[in-house]
Amino acid sequence: MTREEVIITFAKYEIKRAIARKKVLALVAFTILLGTVPYYALSAAGTTLIPNTAYPYIWVVGIFAVGPLFLNFTAILIAAGAMSEEYEQGTAELLLSKPVRRTDYFIGKFLGGYTLFISILALNIFLSVASAYTFFGTQSNLNIIPGLFAAQAFASLVFFSLAFMLGELIRRSSLAYIFSSAVFFSSYIISTFMGLIYTLTGKEIYKTIQIYLPTSPANALPIQYATTQLPTSLTTVLRFINTATTGPTINLSIEILLTYSVLAIAVAAVYFLRQDISRKLS
Amino acid sequence: MLGLIRPTSGQVKINGLDPITHHVEALRNVAYSPELPNIQTFLTPKELLNLISHELNFTDNQTRDNEIKKALETVGLHEYADTKVGKLSKGMVQRLSVAQALLGKPETLILDEPMIGLDPAGTAHLREVFRDFAKKGNGTVFLSSHIMNEVESLCNSVAIIHKGKILFRGPAKEVEQKILNYSLIQLETSPLNAETMQQLQQIPGIADINTANNANTADTVTVEIAVNQPYTDLRPQIADLIIKSGFKLYTIKPAENMLERAYIEALKVGDTK
Repeated sequence: MTREEVIITFAKYEIKRAIARKKVLALVAFTILLGTVPYYALSAAGTTLIPNTAYPYIWVVGIFAVGPLFLNFTAILIAAGAMSEEYEQGTAELLLSKPVRRTDYFIGKFLGGYTLFISILALNIFLSVASAYTFFGTQSNLNIIPGLFAAQAFASLVFFSLAFMLGELIRRSSLAYIFSSAVFFSSYIISTFMGLIYTLTGKEIYKTIQIYLPTSPANALPIQYATTQLPTSLTTVLRFINTATTGPTINLSIEILLTYSVLAIAVAAVYFLRQDISRKLS
Repeated sequence: MLGLIRPTSGQVKINGLDPITHHVEALRNVAYSPELPNIQTFLTPKELLNLISHELNFTDNQTRDNEIKKALETVGLHEYADTKVGKLSKGMVQRLSVAQALLGKPETLILDEPMIGLDPAGTAHLREVFRDFAKKGNGTVFLSSHIMNEVESLCNSVAIIHKGKILFRGPAKEVEQKILNYSLIQLETSPLNAETMQQLQQIPGIADINTANNANTADTVTVEIAVNQPYTDLRPQIADLIIKSGFKLYTIKPAENMLERAYIEALKVGDTK
């Protein structure tokens, strides 16, 4: 077997393991709710609330309205437990006592978790489009979905990587969830405040801080991508959803996301390769 | 030994390779069965062995299936191949731990308390599995255990480790003799009188005699006779004396739990060092 096959084996194992933990099933159920209920609610609210011209683009609601919070939180939930739960349950010891490279195990776990995450992301997009079609008829500009999917997957990589790193460093799943969520919400709140202070004072420093916080590019990138592809009237609404889009450019967002993600993965990898694999943590 | 924990001092080498720096190469022919292993409960034994077989780089599916089947049969788990680990008993999980270690025809087995949780039949069965592995497969078994009877019956070489240091090592009998400066003969007799006890004490080579009432019957006592090293077999003389003195002798044999006694003594030595 090649190294790639060994990595795929670990990735498949991670997917199966995460699903068996049942929290993923809860996330899937939540995704189904978020991908269907808002459309039903909008449809039931009556046509006077939504102009007919917006009908063909209503699919973006499910994608952008829930994306910033739900997707990043889903990424955190999956990634924080990927390594830490194995230490807590003592299951890493048996797998790593075999003649396998730790790097293969590490990459396999990361890719497995990430694959699971993007499957949930794909489900969210699919349900949004399907619900929009069901309740509001034919949808437009669906050709941007692959690019939008890639932008959302990449944007969520930052919190996936941070949570994965914290799971490895702390080796306690509940603490890793708490710390990762704390980083996410702190960044979210600080970003909002920085934006507000910038609006009030006009001082660039607050805007700069806002731009470089991880939530800003994570939330902005999919919208930045969509604004170049969708009608102007719709992009105004999208900008309203996320004020951070007025900040960094697409390239800067990608650079910031990449920096955070690569750093987090590197720290986790170095720590994992150097640390002991202990028996079950009590 | 498996390169999972870095040594605070010293070095382990397997076939000349450090399992920390050359993990894959060093462990190529080494398998490990952990004590009460933590195995994902959502897996079945078959799925676990399939996962392990991928780690072991089995290339041929037919070989993989055959090896998995054989390993499960060897430990007597083939009927539970598709049962979730979460539904297996502690003993079954221990057997599964051994089964996964047997995959891939390793040359060396590292077993950590492999008999824990097993019933007597299971213990006897696994003992045979390990003997077969060593004899028929020409393999080496490292057995880590606190059950000295198990060690005595399985191992031809032992090492007593205390606080991270090897205190004694060598063939079991040699280690016993090195630690204890006596051998023990165990007898079951009718209660002996003082005169006979005194006569026994006078046999050259006998160091000490201890008598204990037998819990099962008041008609017999258990006598332990310590014989000085170098050991000479005094059983004929002892038996002769007891019978000629008019007492009943039911059994006379060398004590079986000598390694356990040696182990306890060794720890005392280790603590004083």
